[in-house]
Amino acid sequence: MASCLLRFARQGLSRTGHVSRCSKVLFQSRYECTAAAETRTTVRPRDDVAHKQLSAFGEYIAEILPKYVQQVQVSCFNELEVMIHPDGIIPVLTFLCDHTNAQFKNLTDLTAVDIPFRQNRFEIVYNLLSLRYNSRIRVKTYTDELTPVDSSVSVFQASNWYEREVWDMYGVFFANHPDLRRILTDYGFEGHPFRKDFPLSGYVEVRYDDEVKRVVAEPVELSQEFRKFDLNSPWEAFPAYRETKDTARLESGDKKPEAK
Amino acid sequence: MATLTAAGRAGSQMVKPIFSRDLDEAKRRVRELYRAWYREIPNTVHTYQLDITVKQGRSKLREMFQKSRHISDPRVIDMLVIKGKMELEETIQVWKQRTHIMRYFSETETSRPKDFLSKFYSGHDP
Amino acid sequence: MLRLPLSQALLGLARHPRAPISTKSHARTTATAASNLIEVFVDGQPVMVEPGTTVLQACEKLGVQIPRFCYHERLSVAGNCRMCLVEVEKAPKPVAACAMPVMKGWNILTNSEKTRKAREGVMEFLLANHPLDCPICDQGGECDLQDQSMMFGSDRSRLTDSKRAVEDKNIGPLIKTIMTRCIQCTRCIRFASEVAGVDDLGTTGRGNEMQVGTYVEKMFMSELSGNVIDICPVGALTSKPYSFTARPWETRKTESIDVLDAVGSNIVVSTRGGEVMRILPRLNEDVNEEWISDKTRFAYDGLKRQRLTQPLVKNASGQLVPTSWENALLQVAQVLQDVQGHNVAAIVGGLVDAEALVAMKDLLNRLDSDSLCTEEVFPMAGAGADLRSNYLLNTRIVGVEEADLLLLVGTNPRFEAPLFNARIRKSWLHNELQVALIGSPVDLSYTYNHLGESTQVLQEIASGRHPFCQILKQAKKPMVMVGSASFQRDDATAILAAVSTIAQNAKASSGVQDSWKVLNVLHRVASQVAALDLGYKAGIEAIRKNPPKVLFLLGADSGCVTRQDLPKDCFVIYQGHHGDVGAPMADVVLPGAAYTEKNGTYVNTEGRAQQTRLAVTPPGIARDDWKIIRAISEVAGVLLPYDTLEDVRNRLAEVSPNLVRYNDVENCNYFKQALELSQSVNQKLLPSPLVPPQLTIRDFFMTDPISRASQTMAKCVKAATEGAQAVEEPSIC
Repeated sequence: MASCLLRFARQGLSRTGHVSRCSKVLFQSRYECTAAAETRTTVRPRDDVAHKQLSAFGEYIAEILPKYVQQVQVSCFNELEVMIHPDGIIPVLTFLCDHTNAQFKNLTDLTAVDIPFRQNRFEIVYNLLSLRYNSRIRVKTYTDELTPVDSSVSVFQASNWYEREVWDMYGVFFANHPDLRRILTDYGFEGHPFRKDFPLSGYVEVRYDDEVKRVVAEPVELSQEFRKFDLNSPWEAFPAYRETKDTARLESGDKKPEAK
Repeated sequence: MATLTAAGRAGSQMVKPIFSRDLDEAKRRVRELYRAWYREIPNTVHTYQLDITVKQGRSKLREMFQKSRHISDPRVIDMLVIKGKMELEETIQVWKQRTHIMRYFSETETSRPKDFLSKFYSGHDP
Repeated sequence: MLRLPLSQALLGLARHPRAPISTKSHARTTATAASNLIEVFVDGQPVMVEPGTTVLQACEKLGVQIPRFCYHERLSVAGNCRMCLVEVEKAPKPVAACAMPVMKGWNILTNSEKTRKAREGVMEFLLANHPLDCPICDQGGECDLQDQSMMFGSDRSRLTDSKRAVEDKNIGPLIKTIMTRCIQCTRCIRFASEVAGVDDLGTTGRGNEMQVGTYVEKMFMSELSGNVIDICPVGALTSKPYSFTARPWETRKTESIDVLDAVGSNIVVSTRGGEVMRILPRLNEDVNEEWISDKTRFAYDGLKRQRLTQPLVKNASGQLVPTSWENALLQVAQVLQDVQGHNVAAIVGGLVDAEALVAMKDLLNRLDSDSLCTEEVFPMAGAGADLRSNYLLNTRIVGVEEADLLLLVGTNPRFEAPLFNARIRKSWLHNELQVALIGSPVDLSYTYNHLGESTQVLQEIASGRHPFCQILKQAKKPMVMVGSASFQRDDATAILAAVSTIAQNAKASSGVQDSWKVLNVLHRVASQVAALDLGYKAGIEAIRKNPPKVLFLLGADSGCVTRQDLPKDCFVIYQGHHGDVGAPMADVVLPGAAYTEKNGTYVNTEGRAQQTRLAVTPPGIARDDWKIIRAISEVAGVLLPYDTLEDVRNRLAEVSPNLVRYNDVENCNYFKQALELSQSVNQKLLPSPLVPPQLTIRDFFMTDPISRASQTMAKCVKAATEGAQAVEEPSIC
């Protein structure tokens, strides 16, 4: 995926000219290497006009908010992504919401991604929609378990429950949230289930206890049957033929597909 | 918890505090939370009609706080206080039910057999 | 053909003495290497193969799998399904890859347009008469036709004619036939005539009228019949007991070992929801290839019936009543505390794992007793079980493929070890193995030279007076095999001495290398070799002579000791998994685990240690056998020092290291010394004839507690006695 992204990192504050030049070069080389028409029906065809527009808009944002925007990229499916510093959540979102040329009035989604080996293991993702320009943008920032993130409720009302969900599932604390409390897990539940280090089986199992006449929670003790996992697929006849069919089609293009 | 403290150490010079700027402030928040819980317990026992005495509840409260006494990073303490406050709110508002409160006491948990013979009788794999 | 050429012999010298046997299968290719290989191309990739290699084998060498139905690598080539058609460059039409030998310089195109079209066409014809009943077919999910039509077939049919229908045959209680599904690959026919050695199956009619069947309504009478279920590429032959019970993708597979005979076939136990659904073979070239016997495959329903699920204690009125483990162990411990030395004894049966054996031995040794016996008798006089070479199948199971003469003494390998018998037949078929038999004339699946029934013949051959000695002398790689059944007689020592003499003479006259062993013992029960390795005494003679006060029966179910043999006040403890012969006479019954329910070590007749794996949990509150013994030891105050399976296995390694070297066979070499020792014992051969206990297929099905509890096996016995129609069930589809 890496090479199909148009990337331009910002190192300084006043090097926008350089950035735009560099992006153009990258852009052209990218254009050459996937000239072949996409034949797979399930894959959205590449729209170069939209791609160009988005990257131009990305540069525009980067120029206006140089303090917060760290990186802008357009993925091959024409999705504009803005990486920002966690301090800039409120200014950047306010800008995207209210600026005449942006008008991303709608927060469609807010979620997090746990990448445990990173120093800042949580990536917070905001998906915005501009009904005015029929356009979408994704804003990403980062945090760790203990660093609070500014709540975006003051900009988007919609983020109220989303932030509660992220708090509940990942344990990211949102500062200045009006009503931060659990939303999905049961009262008394300990831990944050979407963290990668949370075991699939959880820590407790609940059952109804006849003696105390209520539901009780006890440490999990899976019965023998569920402790073994059979990872072999029964659907493995003639793997060789399946593979050759696929690769043959890919090789018919002029260039090898990008390695992941 | 290891990752928590590691992250705390890594950025100890320039970290963004959650609430407390130093350990004393964090301790003050802990004391506040403890007091709030301490005062709430008689109410809780009454509203939830629990089969425990207030004294039992308070000793459990003390036990729960003692569990985290070794923590010295103000940010970790703050995070625990936040969670403790949320629990307190859930309790005061009676969002919880009796089963959730009684979960702190884990009455039904039996200790796992340790030696061969008791494992043999209870059917655990030694 | 399998005999070693010169270059191989030289190779063998340079290597480990064991090498000629273990590398036998590669030997043929390396021996002719470099001399006259030819080069062919598979999709443009070059590969060097021997002349005579088929197109399919050449492709397989490069890892290119060609779809096939009729071709099976262990059967002869039929070439009648046409699924393996491939294009060869410059050839006028596609060739059948399974039957066509490669020519120099051929370029085989396994995925060209022409090849794909040929496959699609063949598939269309095969499906023309194949019913579309995959949703109710037991082969669904593991069906070659299903898989290959998904992969190579067309996605629509052009045929609108009605399909052919074929009447189903009743070929016994094990195999369900839905002959409409048959695609006439003839794998089953070839399996029956080549591997099983019974010409029961064949085809009638031609063209569209062709049918596979038994000509006249009869049972498919073979001890290996279940294997046709595995080799049938479609759902024409499926398992009757397994029918409509589970689908392959919902079962959990556990790789394990069979313990119902002493061969130790490798199996896969399919389980679902804590229940054994079926048993399938697992490939092990050194033991069972890819076949298993019918008893192994179908006796699993015996694991669900007549099981002991909780401890039982005899009450005042003499009834066995259920109780708790605490109570049962307390009773056993109380009894054990009062006895010492010879007053306590143990008899172990044929299905006990090595872990339980070593725990039992340690327990009794701590009680100062050494009366540990196996039910199965083995002559203990002379060298007895002290020398390992005396009681093993030293040539190993694969060794018979190299032998040129086999003398069987008092055994019926066809039913005592069906897979070893299949090897003998393989060698007889492809290697011109000569077989001779002393003992009752039984129907083996190959011809043999019957030398007589009486022990007199044995005597004559041993002393060199018998005409057979001439043949024996000419043999280059002779094998002499005595069945453990013939040791159940009173003159066991004399028989073993005579057989060792014959073996020693044959070895001397053949001038074969030292690595070739001649003397072989074929055991009948799975636990015997491990028990002898651990120092158990074979046979219960000692117990009869010296009746104990407390008798421990560890899975002893052959009925060799009864209440009448014991004093009135003898306290009998039975530990095992089935309420069979041993349990009713016991004062305390302790429920153990069967072979699918524990991780246990078993040593097969060739001395190969293998382990069973836990597939399902023991029923009720039954426990692993070694754990029960360990628990008894703690309650009785003679604590055994192991808590985990690992600890027990470390103890096993202390006593006999070979028991934990899994899938490895140790060489044993003290034949001469054993012979000298056995001659020091003076015992006369009895004149009564040598009769193995399993003479016909009726005797094969029920030999142990598990198969005796199995309804399927009972049906087999009935069908074998009264004919297949006697057990006919209302057909569901």
